[in-house]
Amino acid sequence: MANELALRRARRTGPLISLVPMIDVMLILLVFFMVTSTYLNLDMIPAVKQQDRAGRQQNPNGETVLIRLAADGAPVLNGKPLAPEAFATLLRERVKANPLTQVLLLPSGAATTQSLISVMDIATRAGVERLQVIRLEARP
Amino acid sequence: MKLNRPTRNTQSETMIALIDVVFFLLVFFMLIGRMDATAPFEVSPPLASSGQDMPAGGATLAVAQDGSLAMDSVSIERSELEGLITGALAADRDLRLQINAHRDAELRHVLPLVGLAETLGVGDVVLVVTPETRQAGP
Repeated sequence: MANELALRRARRTGPLISLVPMIDVMLILLVFFMVTSTYLNLDMIPAVKQQDRAGRQQNPNGETVLIRLAADGAPVLNGKPLAPEAFATLLRERVKANPLTQVLLLPSGAATTQSLISVMDIATRAGVERLQVIRLEARP
Repeated sequence: MKLNRPTRNTQSETMIALIDVVFFLLVFFMLIGRMDATAPFEVSPPLASSGQDMPAGGATLAVAQDGSLAMDSVSIERSELEGLITGALAADRDLRLQINAHRDAELRHVLPLVGLAETLGVGDVVLVVTPETRQAGP
């Protein structure tokens, strides 16, 4: 009998939050990032290092090889242009004979950046750890 | 006797899956994308197989094939460069200057920039390169 008289409080439904605006915002953000992002895979080669500036020194224990970089991008040793394979072999032999071998690279101003980087690449792969690019400053 | 087929509420399930996918894509693009200034001219960095990973940040000096310059996506004249580097150094003593030179740019346009930055006191100058994937030899 008591059960029949009990009044049940009406259940209040919670506020309904629509997901549609959120989806709209997320889609707009997604499209924005997809359109504006440029995916570049870039590396770097140090040109000036803080510690190099502090500790520049001569190479008393190692051999020094001076390589000129011709305007056409070919490495030149003692006036003779070298093919990339011959250049790599020469450096490998020098480093094998003396691991402290220092390579000085004197590039022509007309050579391209790619040719300098390629020569530096060859030297690094040959095991040269002491590579220095000589920059000749213009006469004032 | 007529039986009513119960209505299936499939729309909300589809929406949740869509939200999940969109959210994953959004987070992916936000994490992978890096906001960097691009040069106002075409710059294709040289290919190199011995480059190091480049951390984010620093000032970027772009050099076009003809030697034109841009600092952080703004075209500049050579005469403005010294003041800009000095100003950037005043703001950040540990400034890293990234020289993003076109692979066909002549070194007479590029190397003096390295010398100028070093003279002005920039302790960290790097050349930007594109990693070259090489197949391992036998």
